[in-house]
Amino acid sequence: MSEPLDALAPRGEEEHDPHFEPVIRLTQQVETKTYEEDEDVLFKMRAKLFRFASDSAEWKERGTGDVRLLQSKETKKIRLVMRRDKTLKVCANHTISADMKLQPNIGSDRSWVWKVLADYAETPATPETLAIRFANAENAGQFKEAFEKAQKSNASISSSSEEPVAEVAVEASSTETEEAKVDKPDDDVPTTDEVKAEEEKKEE
Amino acid sequence: MSDPSTIPTFKLVLVGDGGTGKTTFVKRHLTGEFEKKYIATLGVEVHPLTFTTNFGTICFNVWDTAGQEKFGGLRDGYYIQGQCGIIMFDVTSRITYKNVPNWHRDLERVCENIPVVLCGNKVDVKERKVKTSQVTFHRKKNIQYFEISAKSNYNFEKPFLWLARKLVGNPTLDFVAAPALKPADEGVSVDPVLMAQYQKELEEAEHVPLPEEDDDL
Repeated sequence: MSEPLDALAPRGEEEHDPHFEPVIRLTQQVETKTYEEDEDVLFKMRAKLFRFASDSAEWKERGTGDVRLLQSKETKKIRLVMRRDKTLKVCANHTISADMKLQPNIGSDRSWVWKVLADYAETPATPETLAIRFANAENAGQFKEAFEKAQKSNASISSSSEEPVAEVAVEASSTETEEAKVDKPDDDVPTTDEVKAEEEKKEE
Repeated sequence: MSDPSTIPTFKLVLVGDGGTGKTTFVKRHLTGEFEKKYIATLGVEVHPLTFTTNFGTICFNVWDTAGQEKFGGLRDGYYIQGQCGIIMFDVTSRITYKNVPNWHRDLERVCENIPVVLCGNKVDVKERKVKTSQVTFHRKKNIQYFEISAKSNYNFEKPFLWLARKLVGNPTLDFVAAPALKPADEGVSVDPVLMAQYQKELEEAEHVPLPEEDDDL
């Protein structure tokens, strides 16, 4: 989408900074927990998310930003988290479970559709039919690969905790090495950690 | 997460001519959606909009008012105790800019000396009628001007960021990552009827094309 280049506030506006009596004075920095502190980013890619409004049978935008697959260092469980650009609000947040299946959306080679029984973008969690669109088919393919690996990995955790079958254990270890390869976050957009680090810097 | 009763909350009055995109802008922030259909707002709709900042969570109670005269309702009543304001016009419609002084006068009459942002919306549209250089109203008044596009999200966070900084008297306030609570462990057993319904929905959704291919990915 083309953004106008001249569209920032007219020059001189920055120097002319009117003063208003604050309604409330906030001077104390606050560290907000993201609940991602103990997670590794396995996958990160820019995308646009949609949710299906079944009452009107239409797709509604949910947000544009980085979709990320995050793995808990402790439980190894992997979830999908997506935040909107700029406001950093959560627009998708769910565990990647085995029952999910990424389906193509009609006429698009760079989108996937799937069903989530409980998405925690907002509380309480809601069931959602989601669609995600990437810049191109290649990116969409990489996401699918990472998503399906995460499904296998999560399935092996839950099944191995119940009945440790040898076959499953083998699968789990091979999945782990594959995951390491997927871990290549790009640097153009700051991750939450970076944002946090910046915050800490400011505090000093 | 912050205790809701302690979150600093500000009443924001959102005004401007009908069809300039006030409700679409609010919805964009609330759910992420971009509403293309025009449904005139009747009277007023109040929506809480929360932001996570490096100085804690804050909330704007956005009073999204009817732009159309005939649907106006209480007018002055909506402005009472407004702590900040957004005046919106449409850069593809000169008349909506010409009316900005009227909206400002009405707002000012009830709420004296509150921080106000003037927003020129729809800057994504090529056939623009109000050029940046023609927007001068804010210069004489203590108003901040932003060009925005609710459609492309251009500058869509700026009005709230500017107002928030003024309201809490801190120019270093920024938006930071909101909490992403850990999903509960699955094992949600879903009954087969519901499961079948979900499956049907999914199949339907697969056959409805996604909107707008011209995105900025």
